[in-house]
Amino acid sequence: MTAEKNLRARRVRDERLAAVLRGEELLLFDGAMGTQLQERGLAAGELPELLCLTDPEKISEVHAAYVAAGADVVTTNTFGANATKLGDAANVEEVFAAAVSCARAARPRYVAADIGPTGQLLEPMGTLAFDDAYELFARQVRAADAAGADLFVIETMADLAEAKAALLAVRENSDLPAFVTMTFQEDGRTFLGTTPEVAAVTLSSLGADAVGINCSLGPRDVAPLVERMLPWTSCPVMAQANAGLPRVVDGETRYDVGPEEFAVCVADMLDAGVGVVGGCCGTTPAHVAALRALLDVRRPAPRSLRDCLTVAGPQRLVALAPGQVGVIGERINPTGKRKMKEALRSGNHDHVIAEAMAQERAGAQILDVNAGLPEIDERAVMCRLVSELLSVTTLPLQIDSSDPAVVEAAVRSYPGKPLVNSVNGKAESLASVVPLAARYGCALVGLTLDEDGIPPTAQGRLAVARKIVAATDAAGIPRPDVAIDCLAMAASTDQTAPRAILDAIRLVKAELPGVRTVLGVSNISFGLPFRPLLNATFLAAAFGAGLDLAIINPGVRRMMDVVDSWRALSGEDERARFYVEHYADRSDAPAAASSAGEKNVEPATAPAPAGLLEDPVERARALVLDGRAEPMASAMSEVLLAHDALFAINEVLVPALDEVGRRFEAGTFFLPQLMASAEAAKAGFETIRAAAGPGDASAGKGEVVVCTVRGDIHDIGKNIVRMLLENYGFDVIDLGRDVDPEVVVRTVEERHVRLVGLSALMTTTVPAMAETIELLRERAPWCKVVVGGAVLTPEYAQMVGADFYAKDATETARIAEQVLG
Amino acid sequence: MTSPSPAPPARRSYDVRSVERSEVLRYLGYAGQELTPELDARIDGVVAACLAACRPQGVVRVFDVAGRGEKDGVPVIRLAGTALELVGCSIDEHLAGAVAVGVLAATVGMGVEAELRRLSLTDPVAQVIFDASATAAVERAADAAEADVVAQAAARGLFCGSRFSPGYGDLPLSTQPVLLDTLDAGRLLGIRLSPALLMSPTKSVTAVVGLFERPRPEAHASCAGCPCCDFCVLLRAGSTCH
Repeated sequence: MTAEKNLRARRVRDERLAAVLRGEELLLFDGAMGTQLQERGLAAGELPELLCLTDPEKISEVHAAYVAAGADVVTTNTFGANATKLGDAANVEEVFAAAVSCARAARPRYVAADIGPTGQLLEPMGTLAFDDAYELFARQVRAADAAGADLFVIETMADLAEAKAALLAVRENSDLPAFVTMTFQEDGRTFLGTTPEVAAVTLSSLGADAVGINCSLGPRDVAPLVERMLPWTSCPVMAQANAGLPRVVDGETRYDVGPEEFAVCVADMLDAGVGVVGGCCGTTPAHVAALRALLDVRRPAPRSLRDCLTVAGPQRLVALAPGQVGVIGERINPTGKRKMKEALRSGNHDHVIAEAMAQERAGAQILDVNAGLPEIDERAVMCRLVSELLSVTTLPLQIDSSDPAVVEAAVRSYPGKPLVNSVNGKAESLASVVPLAARYGCALVGLTLDEDGIPPTAQGRLAVARKIVAATDAAGIPRPDVAIDCLAMAASTDQTAPRAILDAIRLVKAELPGVRTVLGVSNISFGLPFRPLLNATFLAAAFGAGLDLAIINPGVRRMMDVVDSWRALSGEDERARFYVEHYADRSDAPAAASSAGEKNVEPATAPAPAGLLEDPVERARALVLDGRAEPMASAMSEVLLAHDALFAINEVLVPALDEVGRRFEAGTFFLPQLMASAEAAKAGFETIRAAAGPGDASAGKGEVVVCTVRGDIHDIGKNIVRMLLENYGFDVIDLGRDVDPEVVVRTVEERHVRLVGLSALMTTTVPAMAETIELLRERAPWCKVVVGGAVLTPEYAQMVGADFYAKDATETARIAEQVLG
Repeated sequence: MTSPSPAPPARRSYDVRSVERSEVLRYLGYAGQELTPELDARIDGVVAACLAACRPQGVVRVFDVAGRGEKDGVPVIRLAGTALELVGCSIDEHLAGAVAVGVLAATVGMGVEAELRRLSLTDPVAQVIFDASATAAVERAADAAEADVVAQAAARGLFCGSRFSPGYGDLPLSTQPVLLDTLDAGRLLGIRLSPALLMSPTKSVTAVVGLFERPRPEAHASCAGCPCCDFCVLLRAGSTCH
């Protein structure tokens, strides 16, 4: 969202602050609170926020020293004042009320309500749900607003999702300005890997009124990082560095960057375009006074912004400048893809994950994610897919759904700036999707169709594009963040279609300056033979017409050839370095590279490695025992030349697995060997399944739900159990880790599952196991429960109400045979 | 409010270049089984990838023992300048006679956590090996942090005992919140704590180490075999702690 648009919606205390937010004035924050309190005797590990209630004069004294030093803004002593951290010691409202009045007592120009991290790690790596983080922040925001703060400063954030939750909490519960700063390490990333560019783009798109860096490092190290933010946001950029590192000199602790040196570094930041400054750990009123002297003789330095379409994952920014082209991977979409449909229906997302990784390897820069199947809960599946994809790829995502509620659920907690696919020219779509993209700071794909369908002419498509861009302009979405899709139609039904599309791309680029274009290319060849060639030719023509983003299967070599060669010809690939490096040895025979999964059967002609057994049956068995997955596909393909699937399973894989189990029990195999064998067997099963095709006879023995219980994120044991159960032919519904009892029970109810495996690794999470079992007994009495995990014993298992205790994965497999066999 | 705190905590990065392969194998339950060359190479590859993903860092602070008492009939040790209290018979015994206590937190960072999560979804075999390697690596980071305590002790003419972590014996896991706050471990190391008192990154260690006026019986008699040896400040300066 643009800064001007932001400002109109804000309650800004006075004209001076408004001028700061417009970038016309500089602003000085205060310095450290914590180190000042420690000097005044605060014990380590004590909650400093409680002093607002117990010793308000002391807090006001610190604020007053900063006001006297010239600070425009003082920051309330509320860094950790959230409901979880305060616990029973005090409530959030009284702490904020006291903290704001402590700050006011020092008579500053502005009081900033301080909001620090929750102290917990958010899902999927941690256990705090985004919505719960939001609620913790929202309570702080309402309390601070009611207490009369002038603005918010959300600071020391390391997790972009958490920063986003806090910022949304401000935006949805207050109309005061929000400044957001994150903390970075020497390597230029936050603890969770976010870069300054990603932070600046994501947070300012989401409506932050200033973005920046605090804490982390001394000013010399902060300067280059904060300067990296400047080109990526139109709002003021802020820096509050530490006074270097603490050192003990003659028994006294001093931070090693004094006021003069601090000011020298900050002067450089101001000259580069930083507009809001102050100090963090170790800074003192003397540091702030030195900054005051700087600000008094300076005006905001001019800044220049990049004219890019930007999308960002938590660790990676994709920025397309005019003239650059980008690739969106189209494979995570069930339309016309049997394996993808199966994956989304069954909840076994291995295939989705493999597709994501394959597309990243093949050169995709953004991944489209579509979970639109009529018979599934699209919203739940989309959210789970996004969470899983965030764990396996750093590529930003394009959230693809026709249901605005699904889009909102996915983009709200997305740790970055996603691309939304899509809005169209229909009044209903414009009214629902455009405000959503604006509110959540997303880039947006606009389809040139409306109530009258897809206009056949270029002019007609332009007219729809105008309608869309008028709506995005009004909503404050910057034009480079809008990508118009002129919609490829089949040349086989209308041979004028290709030209009309190319003309439409040219018209949109010319008539709607700043706006970008995007195109799903492959429709063009529908109904014609040898489609990759037509797709590639059309893609090249579209790039020539000004296409910015291509939605393609990057696994098709011919398509990436067009992309790479266009970049070499357009000058985007400077001196064609990439092209020369990757194409110097290429011959003139473009082959369709197979995408992950769909055709992953190895050619049976692959030469068998030397020294292996001649008989494919013996070889397959040996591969399981040796735990070698790679040669398994070809060995199993050979087995299937002479035998049927049942033989391959019952006479080859299962006996080998039984032998592996025996060796593990006897201690002749240890865990990695057991698992490598399971992995090899899995490769064998996959080959059998692929050969049998859909609806094959080797159907499973029944469904088993497995998960790690709520509050616990240890999933190694659960993953091993899953591998072995799959090996023995069970259909495993893996609900993941940190799973709410309600989710377990609902899954069991919906699919009438007869066995659940629960894992817990900590004594503190065993109660969640008991709770899950109790709920199962109540609502799914038919279902048996097996439990395992490091802290469990047979007695403990009985105590929590389980039917079975399994000491390891092989025993779980035996229990499953017993219950479902 | 109590007397002024000792030095504010600072983060240190540690140079953990290797872990003992035998230790990684031990975490994996290895007992001399015969490995295929493939598995052997795979383990080496994952261990190397894990070390490359590690960012071993730690924070250490030393507090004087302010007093000993009882809380609900259980011994408690109070430290000067911190709200941290060490409760329980086992820690009381472990720190019997200590005049000061080193408090430490060490982690290999969130990058390892992210990789474990990625492997959980893509390669469970590698996940198991990576997890064992990361456990070995964070123990090395804790050794390095402990070496910092040893150095601070030596500067005061004191001797260190061995480290002891919350959750062991009857030193409750509920010690974690105040211990981590005492070290400002959220800000300095990025360590977060779940309601179940689980640290993230999971490959993090917290511990306390006693500082004593006389050498400890459990102390290593020589540098050979001392886990802190690779990180020892004293050794680099030409002296030892024994």
